[in-house]
Amino acid sequence: MFAKEAYLQAEPIHSAARPAAARDQAYDLEFADAIAGELTMAYRLAGYILADAAEAQDAVQEASVRSWRGWPNLRDRDKFHSWFSQILVNVCRTRLRQRSRHRALDIDEVDVVSGDPFRAALARDTIGRALSVLSPELRIVVVLRYWGELSLAEIADRLRIPVGTVKSRHHAALQALRRRIEPAEGGIR
Amino acid sequence: MNDPDFEMEARLRDLAARSSTPPPPPEMADLPWSVQRTEPRTEVRRFLPAFRNAAGGAGRGVFTLARLGATLAIAGSLLIVLGQVRGGNANTGTNVILPPPTTRPTSAAGGGPEVVVLPTSGVVDDVMASYIHGGIQRAVSDHASAVIVQLDTLGGSLTSMTDIVTDLNASIPTIVWVGPAGAKAASAGTFITMSANLAYMAPSTNIGAASPVAAGGGDIATQFGQTEADKVLQDAEASMRGYAQAHHPQAVDWAVSTVSSARSYSAEEALAAHGINGLASSLDDVLAQADGQVVTINGAQVTVHTKGASLVTVNEDAIQLVLHTLDDPNIAFILLVIGVLCVLVEFFHPTLLVGLFGALSLALSFYGAGNLPLNVLGVLLVVLGIGMLAVEPVVPSHGLLTVGGVVCFIVGAVAFYGSPGPYLPKVSVAWPIILTSAGLASLYGLVFVRTVLQIRNRPIPVGTGMVGTVVLVGKVGEVRQDLSPVGSIYVAQEAWTAKLEGSGRAARGSLVRVVRQEGLTLIVQPLESDR
Repeated sequence: MFAKEAYLQAEPIHSAARPAAARDQAYDLEFADAIAGELTMAYRLAGYILADAAEAQDAVQEASVRSWRGWPNLRDRDKFHSWFSQILVNVCRTRLRQRSRHRALDIDEVDVVSGDPFRAALARDTIGRALSVLSPELRIVVVLRYWGELSLAEIADRLRIPVGTVKSRHHAALQALRRRIEPAEGGIR
Repeated sequence: MNDPDFEMEARLRDLAARSSTPPPPPEMADLPWSVQRTEPRTEVRRFLPAFRNAAGGAGRGVFTLARLGATLAIAGSLLIVLGQVRGGNANTGTNVILPPPTTRPTSAAGGGPEVVVLPTSGVVDDVMASYIHGGIQRAVSDHASAVIVQLDTLGGSLTSMTDIVTDLNASIPTIVWVGPAGAKAASAGTFITMSANLAYMAPSTNIGAASPVAAGGGDIATQFGQTEADKVLQDAEASMRGYAQAHHPQAVDWAVSTVSSARSYSAEEALAAHGINGLASSLDDVLAQADGQVVTINGAQVTVHTKGASLVTVNEDAIQLVLHTLDDPNIAFILLVIGVLCVLVEFFHPTLLVGLFGALSLALSFYGAGNLPLNVLGVLLVVLGIGMLAVEPVVPSHGLLTVGGVVCFIVGAVAFYGSPGPYLPKVSVAWPIILTSAGLASLYGLVFVRTVLQIRNRPIPVGTGMVGTVVLVGKVGEVRQDLSPVGSIYVAQEAWTAKLEGSGRAARGSLVRVVRQEGLTLIVQPLESDR
């Protein structure tokens, strides 16, 4: 909604007409370098957490803008990766919660042919379709674990929660997925 | 080992490995950083930027503080200059403004007697005091035979009045003429009239009402307590008794009654009570009547010689005129309203210049109000009213704030000037001015602030370079809901409402090309080459 209105109402941006201070430009260049390496992974994580390419794009942009604003305050530039993914996860969580307030997003087989690459990929497998039953917290843990290929300790670092909590969420997520899948696949076995 | 968990893990790992990541769309990496550099300010709490900035980002905080300091410094230095100009105490001899050189009429060349005329009007203030001081000094140094102060005032400040009274006690005869017809010598004016050597009034003029304090206690009593009111009243009575004793000994009781019971008298009544020396309808009439009168100057009996004297008028100079105009009750009020509005504009739309102008207006307003019986409650109500009008667009109150603001403003404006006391003039803001400025203030709240906020709330442009309607035209999208002919399509990572150009249908999954855009609806054509 926001993006659409922005398209309609926005005016051309003449970035050259706004001369930024040299220091700002240096910041921007540095930041552009730092974030360029993050975008692909961020898009993947956001896409599978949100199961929606457009929303994932919005989420990555939002996270980029937030991290860009906080960039001058980030003391240790080496921690950019971890810091940025923290922001991204927060943005995705907010979006998931907002979305779950409005509608349940079930993924079914039809979505295989939908235009959305993330939905299509999830819809190909029973377990991918089952992901939609997970609460935002559980879903984030699962996506970070398998699509992000992070260890439980790394997830705990990203989410700023104890490792024990990550473990219990991970376990709860797997159980929920199994409960969901078993009735569907029971007949096959 | 937890077998089922292990199985789920394996399946998830497998799915994740198989699920590809589409390449990020190019516009995602190209964020308009230069636009985002300034934070969008859309929320209410951002409207207290001075405090937030001072507490938050050091650079901006310092800048804001510096700007605030500069504004205050300029306003302060202005006040100091004004203070110097009003020079205040005419009797210390340090007045900055010197009266202009006497314009000598050619007829005076013969050496005939000369009388200096000082026409005054408006509030008795330091400007008037320094003007009269300079005029009398000039008359003394020119060896004029007398000075005539032409008086028309509603009153003014006690200190200025005292200065004038001291000046009127000069080495040459001083005459106060309350005129022309319609003029008043109220409050402080009464004291000035009674303290001159000779007093004349034009027909249809008034004198008196030097105190509005009723016997049972009036406004002063409620403000300062009964004791204080009595003290002020008794002090004023004593001064009046002294002046009358010196110049009009037959009318002491009459003169005191203008203070003690706030009586006001016509010229004829004043003459009947021997409070004045006569009725004079013009300055020439004054000259004729004053001639031959015997007055006491520094203990010596002096006979006034004004017959056939030439009149030399000394006018206020330009700066005195401007400063004196500031004392006008309406102008002081208007300046306050303008000042508050400008300062608020500075808050909502910082430009420095407007804020400076507002600070200037406020300073001038307070300068002028210094000689007026300003009612603090009235001023607060006016400021509160404007403030309520200004926050109406920010805090949704369904018009309640607007109504409250206008009511506050009008009530405050009516009560802008309060209890005069014995010396200050009894003034009020004119109704047309109240209504006009209330209208302007609500216009400001309803139009200006709203417009600024609307501009500020406009969404930030996102995407690369040119964004807008042209972007989507020509792109190919996929039908999500059958177009018959209206449905929805998925294009540019978004779901859009779409309408098929011409008739026909397009089924879900088929591809269409965007032809143009009408509002939020895309007009599309089926893609022939496909399927």
